[in-house]
Amino acid sequence: MNGRAPQHGTRALHATGRLLSRYWTVLALVAAWGAWVRTQHLNQIVAPTPAAVFGDVLDNPGAYAPDLGWTLLNAAVGVALGMLLGLAGALLVWTSPVLSGLMTPMALIMRSVPVVAMIPVIARVVGFGTAAVLTITTVVSFFPVFVLAGSGLRAAPAATRDVFTVLAASGLTRLRLLLLPGAVPALLVALRLTAPTAVLAAMLAEYLLGTHGLGQLFARSVTFMDPARAWGTALVATVVSVLCFVGARAAERQGTARFT
Amino acid sequence: MATTGISESPPAAPAPPAPAALELRGVTKEFSLRRSRTVTALESVDLTVGHGEFVALLGPSGCGKSTVLRMVAGLEEPTYGEVLVEGGAPAHLVRRHRLGIAFQEHALLPWASAYDNIALPFRVAGRPVDAARVTELLELVGLEGFADARPRQLSGGMRQRVAIARALVLDPEVLLLDEPFGALDAVTRRRMNFELARIWADQRITTLLVTHDVDEAVLLADRVVVLTGRPGTVRHVEEITLPRPRDRALARNAEFHDIVDRLTALLDEGAE
Repeated sequence: MNGRAPQHGTRALHATGRLLSRYWTVLALVAAWGAWVRTQHLNQIVAPTPAAVFGDVLDNPGAYAPDLGWTLLNAAVGVALGMLLGLAGALLVWTSPVLSGLMTPMALIMRSVPVVAMIPVIARVVGFGTAAVLTITTVVSFFPVFVLAGSGLRAAPAATRDVFTVLAASGLTRLRLLLLPGAVPALLVALRLTAPTAVLAAMLAEYLLGTHGLGQLFARSVTFMDPARAWGTALVATVVSVLCFVGARAAERQGTARFT
Repeated sequence: MATTGISESPPAAPAPPAPAALELRGVTKEFSLRRSRTVTALESVDLTVGHGEFVALLGPSGCGKSTVLRMVAGLEEPTYGEVLVEGGAPAHLVRRHRLGIAFQEHALLPWASAYDNIALPFRVAGRPVDAARVTELLELVGLEGFADARPRQLSGGMRQRVAIARALVLDPEVLLLDEPFGALDAVTRRRMNFELARIWADQRITTLLVTHDVDEAVLLADRVVVLTGRPGTVRHVEEITLPRPRDRALARNAEFHDIVDRLTALLDEGAE
């Protein structure tokens, strides 16, 4: 009992040290932000101090939580739909070269046009509000999944495909037992790429044409001259995006270890 | 089902009522390159393999020996000539899941355990997995304790054993082995040769082995067919009458070394 406490302490110290050495840039950035506001004598409306922003987030979690939940829901549903449609598209392309010639250029166009430019068009087609926000997050997630799932389905080694041929595997059996499991690592890479982007895309869409969510919270705070709340929204969004990325990366590592 | 004796099947024998297990008649294979240029991989190859016979196709790399095996497996079509397996087209046997195959690359599913990899042919064929049969094969290839191990946790030699067990699990009529030990180090390779000799002695399946290793061919086969040149042609057929079971004692057998030396010399000439 006696011997454990100090050991515990040193371990915690080590962990803190490791965290510091890895993420000191984040701390430096926050410090620089504080120094900038103070030395330039900026008005709180132009740029609030870190203390004000962190304070607002920590003191009023209830003010952020519902909008954060809404944005996360939008992003999650969008990513799920994007993955589903992307995989379905990749499967269609896999089954027929004609469809491949049809879908690949379309997907490329969708990719080359920035989301911001697509937002008015999408709003015109599906209407303002939640439907538009969901459409945008789905479109953003679709393309990486479509491309990566497509290459994932073709990733099976030639010798393994030959074994399936000699076993007289039907197309469906080949898909189920060989190609789809083989595409899992590629799908997880797609998830890592799209998860953080989807959160930001959801926010952007909410900002421009939504009714709820972090994007709306940001728009409202700017309108009502509440800079701490507006910056707090950006802070929450950043942290959530990073967490989404970290989570998706962990899933990718797990999946890659399991499927390769 | 398989005959215990070694069936002799001279290439020009009048067709007996029972067809040969494998038969190639005047097989030529051309591959088309870009712009109507073609390259001939094999030139009028005749080959007959009797039931329960172990034939090794020996040749340097690039002589088209793998192409022969791929045609027997129905993975390639001959340009001219005919490939018959059990008297019919290879596709016939493939459709009935009666063909086992193993390659130099183990071609195992990386996400599946050794057990599930061996059980794969059952699942592909849409049959219920015969757990007793899978376990029996795990034992046959000496991997009893590794049923749950995934390929990345196994050594190269172990992976090839799993691949061979998978090829055998549906009790095939014909076993095709394409350089199955080609990626292994010399010591492991020799050990696997003796393992395969033991497994084959137990099963006596008609087997076609493709290899560039002379020792391996002589050690395992009833008959060694030497292919040389580009395009590949049958240069020599050697009956191996060394007694079975063949084990490590063979390394001290003068006749064994005699045959190996002779076939090596043949390959050497063919390379010029």
